[in-house]
Amino acid sequence: MARRILRDRLMVAVLMVGVLLTAVEAQETPRRGGVLLSAIGADAPSLDAHQEQTFATLQPIAPLYSTLLQIDPYRYPHVIGDVASEWTISPDALTYTFKIRPGIRFHDGSPLTSADVKASYDKILFPPEGVRSIRKHHYSAVAGVEAPDSGTVVFKLKFPSASLLVNLASPWNVIYPKKYLDKDPNYFKKNVVGSGPFKFKSYTRGSSFEGERNPDYYVKDRPYLNGYKFFISTETSVRAAAVRSGRAHIEFRDLPLSEAESIKKQLGDKVVVQQTPFVIHFDIAMNNTVKPFTDVRVRKALTLGLDRYTGGRVLYPLTGLRDVGGLTRPGTEWAMSPAELETFPGFGRDAEKNRAEAKKLLAEAGYPNGFKVVLKNRNVKLPYQDFAVFVIQEWRKIGIEAEHRPLETATWYADGRDQGNFEVMVFPTGAFVDDPDQLLAPYLTGSPQNWARFSNPAIDDLYARQARTLDPVERRKLVVELQKIVLENAYHMPGLWWSRNVVHWAKVKNWIAPPSHFTNQKLQDVWLSED
Amino acid sequence: MRTYLVKRLLLIVPTLLGAATLVFLIMRVIPGDVALLIFGGDAAGHIDPKQLAAMREKLGLNDPLYVQFGTWLWGVVRFDFGTSLWTGQPVIEELLIRLPLSLELALFATMVSVVIAIPLGMLAAVRQDTWVDYVVRVFSIGGLAIPGFWVGILTILGLVIFFGWGPPLEFTPPWVDPWANFSMMVWPIVTVGYRFSAVTTRMTRSTVLEVLREDYIRTAWAKGLAERAVVIRHALKNSMLPVITLIGTEFAFLIGGLVVTETVFTLNGIGRFVVDAVAHRDYPVVQALIFLTAFSFVIVNLLVDLTYAWFDPRIRYG
Repeated sequence: MARRILRDRLMVAVLMVGVLLTAVEAQETPRRGGVLLSAIGADAPSLDAHQEQTFATLQPIAPLYSTLLQIDPYRYPHVIGDVASEWTISPDALTYTFKIRPGIRFHDGSPLTSADVKASYDKILFPPEGVRSIRKHHYSAVAGVEAPDSGTVVFKLKFPSASLLVNLASPWNVIYPKKYLDKDPNYFKKNVVGSGPFKFKSYTRGSSFEGERNPDYYVKDRPYLNGYKFFISTETSVRAAAVRSGRAHIEFRDLPLSEAESIKKQLGDKVVVQQTPFVIHFDIAMNNTVKPFTDVRVRKALTLGLDRYTGGRVLYPLTGLRDVGGLTRPGTEWAMSPAELETFPGFGRDAEKNRAEAKKLLAEAGYPNGFKVVLKNRNVKLPYQDFAVFVIQEWRKIGIEAEHRPLETATWYADGRDQGNFEVMVFPTGAFVDDPDQLLAPYLTGSPQNWARFSNPAIDDLYARQARTLDPVERRKLVVELQKIVLENAYHMPGLWWSRNVVHWAKVKNWIAPPSHFTNQKLQDVWLSED
Repeated sequence: MRTYLVKRLLLIVPTLLGAATLVFLIMRVIPGDVALLIFGGDAAGHIDPKQLAAMREKLGLNDPLYVQFGTWLWGVVRFDFGTSLWTGQPVIEELLIRLPLSLELALFATMVSVVIAIPLGMLAAVRQDTWVDYVVRVFSIGGLAIPGFWVGILTILGLVIFFGWGPPLEFTPPWVDPWANFSMMVWPIVTVGYRFSAVTTRMTRSTVLEVLREDYIRTAWAKGLAERAVVIRHALKNSMLPVITLIGTEFAFLIGGLVVTETVFTLNGIGRFVVDAVAHRDYPVVQALIFLTAFSFVIVNLLVDLTYAWFDPRIRYG
């Protein structure tokens, strides 16, 4: 007990030092100029944030765009305005009215009005034929968007939504100029016209992405930087070396703990390591439409075959994958307690017992000697490939021989998300905030995020009910109930929740790592204390 | 010689025509629909038939085969390989972005390998079964056995850990900033050059050994010629034909075959472009790259053939 108290006090002390350091930093006078250099681990499948779900798209393009609302860069997950200066919610919670800041201009010189906001949201909520909308399920409450005048946007709801404001702060929902969407709704897959703090400068596929300061940005005196540049490298060690040598100032997503510690040891106070939890869990999608994964016994066997607790210990130093949890982040208000979680297949602490149960189920399903399977994966090492290696090793213990097949990002999305061309696949589920609407959408019938392609009306019903339940206690019950159905039926195989180590040079100022690598990427307040 | 040169140059035309025909036909006779392939197949049956029809029209797949071939060939003649389906840019522009880097890497890596391999291979042969030979053999076996990406990563880590310095992450052409270019390119050039030299060293050693056992070499020794004259003038020159062939083939391979090295050193070269194009099902780019690879092999082979005469006076072209 005494040790625990000591540990808690130490943590408080560390936090206070952190707050003090932030306060000291806040007093520093921001310096203008310089180009922020960053290393990034993948190339964008396309540049349209509405249609993509990878950091490889969002991190390079986020500084080029504005959103209606945004997550406060300094107070995650507090919501503040971006192009919306203020908003009101009607007493029945069915009408949200947003006032658009006057004077915002797109980089082509045209003014940003409510018509552009409406066109962008119409594309997300009601995508035209041939246009994918990854997150439209998050907005099931929205009946329609109206633009009564150039400075006002109104969201009309079918029922009250507990998460609407948070969902409207999504960094993915960038505002596009209507005139380009009218011509081609897929225009922004290959083009950029935003109104963000930076303007598009250049993009060499497979090599680099560059933005330059927008002198007409609506926030006065921002951004501080002259520009930013992402260098693309799929090799983790190369990105770490780039940060270590100063060729890159920051790797926004994550570096393994071992790399972070090694860099810190070599460079000392010249670098800062920000450690946060991560609203992402790395899982296995089992294609529920393909044999033998149509059989619940097989799905349960595979999830029983994974010793998550050992995985967390082994993989954490290498990858940051650490916490055992359900479908919402452990420790948050939406998560099940560890004791509750342990009652579901694969979450019991006795790994040998789990494996015996898995073998029994496989035998019952007609696979007494196991079977061979292809585990498709993304060719991004951290943590995709390390996670897959661990899973394959674990499955071997129950007789499942998995062939590991890493794919280039675009192919991985095509096979997993678009075509269902796989048996089992490494599949991360993440969001920009800990919100049930977002974290549970991958389990809905027909959701583009439902790579496992299962359908259960009870899940759809629980999702719809939690989305409109404003009472947090009642909503939590529904959220937990939904998770139980997914886990009991082993529709989807949770792996481990990620944690984040962001390493950056100390000269990178005014950037705080939130528990998501999707938020706080606009870089409008970031500055460099030296070149 | 002039007649031979003209003949060989004229022979390039049917060779390239054959390559172009092959590339064209391969893309059309492989099972499946290219347009469908671009959408990633229809396993889930989600592809809109209208989009599919539009893609077929865009690719000209609705035209008769001879019209398609004519259009493709006319494009090739004008260096117009169409537009990349992935980036929306003309394929030739995408190629020109990457070609200087790949050519520089291939050219200098070849030079490094030749500078290392020929003296070492010759030395190992002349001092066969001595410690010199063993050291050279260990050096060359090391180059063959150690994966290039591992040497590359170790090189980068060594530079960063011991010198706090890492190579630039973006290619700068030598005519823009020679120092930045050198800083970036020297490491992959040395890494690739070492592996390449390992193969060439072994080839040089074995061919020189073979020649050293020839009667005319014995005669040269008997005449009392100095070792230098025997080895360099008589043995080395006559043993170079297989080595030159190897160098030529390797050089052509290096232009587009260094995917792993390009990944490790963040080089945006032809190798990664090929892999990305295949992964993205970027059919015009794949078509263009296969053709250009064939083209580079044809040109390199021509140059190799022309150098034969200089090395072996017995070869007379007429």
